[in-house]
Amino acid sequence: MNKENRRIIFILVGFCILFVGLVAYLSFFQVFKAESVKNNSYNKRLWINEENVLRGSIMDRNGNVLAYSEKNEGTNTRYYKYGNLYSHVIGYSYREYGKSGLELEYNNVLLDINENAAINELKNLVLPTSVGNDLRLTIDHGTQEKARNLLNGRKGSIVLMNPKNGEVYAMVSLPDFNTSNLNDNWKEITESPDSPFLNRATQGLYTPGSIFKIITTLSAIESLDIDLEYVCEGSTNIDGYILKDYNEIAHGKLDLHGAFIKSCNTYFGEKSLEIGKERLGSVADRFMINQKINFDLPVKESSFPYKGNIGDTELAASAIGQGKVVATPLNMAMMASAIANNGEMVKPILVKEIINKDGKITRAITTDVISTVTGPTVANEIKDMMVDAVASGTGTNASIRNVTVAGKTGTAENPSGNSHSWFVGFAPANDPRLAVAVILEEAGTSGGQGAAPIARDLFIHGLNNIDF
Amino acid sequence: MISTKLSGRTPRILLFLYEILALSLLFVYQKDNLDRYILATGIGLVLLVYISNYMLIKISKGDNYIFLIATMLMSIGIIMIYRIDPEAGIRQLMWLSIGILFFYLSYFAVKYIKGLDKLIYLYIVGAYFLFLITFILGTRTYGAINWIRIGGFSLQPAEITKLILIFIVACYYSQYEKFKEIKYSPYILMGIVYSFIGLLFMQRDLGMAVIFYGIFLVLQFIYEENRKLVLINIGLIVVGGIIAYYAFAHVRVRVHTWIDPWRYIDDKGYQITQSLFAIAEGGFFGKGLGLGYPHFIPLAYNDFIFAAICEELGIFTGIGIIMLFLLLVYRGFKIGIGQTNNFYKILALGISALFGIQSFIILGGVLKVIPLTGITLPFVAYGGTSILSSFIALGILQVASEDAEWRMDHE
Repeated sequence: MNKENRRIIFILVGFCILFVGLVAYLSFFQVFKAESVKNNSYNKRLWINEENVLRGSIMDRNGNVLAYSEKNEGTNTRYYKYGNLYSHVIGYSYREYGKSGLELEYNNVLLDINENAAINELKNLVLPTSVGNDLRLTIDHGTQEKARNLLNGRKGSIVLMNPKNGEVYAMVSLPDFNTSNLNDNWKEITESPDSPFLNRATQGLYTPGSIFKIITTLSAIESLDIDLEYVCEGSTNIDGYILKDYNEIAHGKLDLHGAFIKSCNTYFGEKSLEIGKERLGSVADRFMINQKINFDLPVKESSFPYKGNIGDTELAASAIGQGKVVATPLNMAMMASAIANNGEMVKPILVKEIINKDGKITRAITTDVISTVTGPTVANEIKDMMVDAVASGTGTNASIRNVTVAGKTGTAENPSGNSHSWFVGFAPANDPRLAVAVILEEAGTSGGQGAAPIARDLFIHGLNNIDF
Repeated sequence: MISTKLSGRTPRILLFLYEILALSLLFVYQKDNLDRYILATGIGLVLLVYISNYMLIKISKGDNYIFLIATMLMSIGIIMIYRIDPEAGIRQLMWLSIGILFFYLSYFAVKYIKGLDKLIYLYIVGAYFLFLITFILGTRTYGAINWIRIGGFSLQPAEITKLILIFIVACYYSQYEKFKEIKYSPYILMGIVYSFIGLLFMQRDLGMAVIFYGIFLVLQFIYEENRKLVLINIGLIVVGGIIAYYAFAHVRVRVHTWIDPWRYIDDKGYQITQSLFAIAEGGFFGKGLGLGYPHFIPLAYNDFIFAAICEELGIFTGIGIIMLFLLLVYRGFKIGIGQTNNFYKILALGISALFGIQSFIILGGVLKVIPLTGITLPFVAYGGTSILSSFIALGILQVASEDAEWRMDHE
């Protein structure tokens, strides 16, 4: 072959590489990048339905409208009536900033979008301007407002739910932000160190502290081979680590019941070594720790990493909800609910009904048991301990005169130096209608002083006002 | 026996089927305003493509795939343009007819007019003349002065100049021995080509400048005996590129929007990001003809037609188009290697390089692989002069694909 033809082949090979490179890049783009490119809020295709379809309204369980859309001069505008109150539950839908909360998770329902593009196209031809579906939530507007007021601007979260059917009556996370004028505050919100966008109720992973003892207690009851008696001296040495009680008070001779209502750290720390990590871990798993919780909003997984190589110190710390154990407030409300509901944990629900434009209910959500943590007998045994914890133990600030309240306080140490103040519980104890988890983030007070009174006021309000 | 049948008729029939299916889809989409006129247009396209391919086999003993590839690309283009804007689609069909006419005109002209390789000075004068009238009569669109209006028609003279460039270089290297006697002749040739590139730069037609440079570099690389010149050529473009980046704001904008278009999504990066949205939305199989939103892409039937095709017909069709161009370039180089007449051989190589470079620049641009420069995708994008010049080039390639033995006898 002569010199010229060799060079021609060289150039041809060059072209082949360029074109095959294009094909490779196009495939790479489609597989790895397309998804994130598509979801850029500048992609007008995301908003095409927004222009044709009037986004559905969102209302509370009593039919109070919380968010709605109106057509003004040809464009659809979204209105949020209550500013900050639903910043994490309903979220927002803005062309500039995208979507969050239920506005994101239920976008297709609110816009009445079918998953099938072809059907949509046909529908747009037939019905150029249509109306989306409405959502009726399980939230009780008055109770939601009360819960936010009780937090009184402090960082933290409250989840109030029905332990029997899973309906969430109030879900608050502070700090929050005003969804009705995002344009004015976007920069401040995104730059705030307190992360106002974070829905602490479902996304916040907190050290649970003593409320985790509910799980340890259940494990202890199930461990028939261990001795439940113990003499508390205010502190104990576990494998070289000194485990102390709150204010180093010596509780003396204790059984499980006594240890629970006094929230004795040394008791549960010592007993956890006999229970063992496998048994404690498997009970935690039943309470949906380390499990994915399906909910109308995305939920982070609570975690108790017992499967790895953990030592006695770590196990004892985990048994009292310290160490590497973290949990979401929603998960902790579900934990209290499971005890209240005879050991059956139900799936939490935020959206009660989907109502189409003709006012027909197209989808009603039904109760779903997602985990059986224990049987009714053991559940009642723990319930009695929780009743006594409020009646005469650490949670007396949660007690109500005419209603029996069951609960457990938690004071969780964390790296900030200021402990989280926790309370989980339910009321009325004999026929539970409300279960709650309250956390004051880095409040520096005990659960009994900080969180318990909030739970009490919320129970009183809820029992008097919610239409169950 | 069977294999010859396969090679001749089967692809033509497959293309026929493809067109029928795509047009049926289009008619379903257009069912509300379907009339005889549109049906006639569709049937016109199918018949035009089928008959012209059939005719070619009877007329030319050369390569009968390159025309098939070109008409396949045209068909995809017309169907997409028609879907975006029916009127433009019908005009594009008209351009296809004129294009096929010019294909045969250039085929017969280049085949039967003798002494085309002796007219180098005429070509050079002609090229400068086309630049001159562009500057005198030119109108500015999208920041570039590269269009002139004559009567109701818009012409882009550089589309013709790029073919003249190939003729100039082909004349030079086919009579290399003769020109070598002129002192500094390779430098003079390079000077002329660089003056073209400079003029295109002044018209702000960056894409075309890159095409001119690319064609020249490819041919120089193959034929120049003084290898130092090839290195100088490469060196000059590197230096020139760096100078252009710092000297011209519009060059900087192209580079910035290539590196991070999302930062400039509101203005400078708008076009390219809209293109990426469309390609991403399409997925592998596309949204379906008529079910995407190509109207969101600026210049959807022009520079960005590839993005519109990917959105509705999927990246499998996109990959198909890329492979068709690769096939076209491959056949073109094969024709070049097989051709014994040096003049026709260089023309074939120049034209193949032209198709390859032009399609790569715009495909790479809309995919954000390289900075975006606004040029048309040959045979696919809407545009009169571009279609004509592509078909003229194809006609020349068709001549070059034939055995030139008979021509040698005359010399």
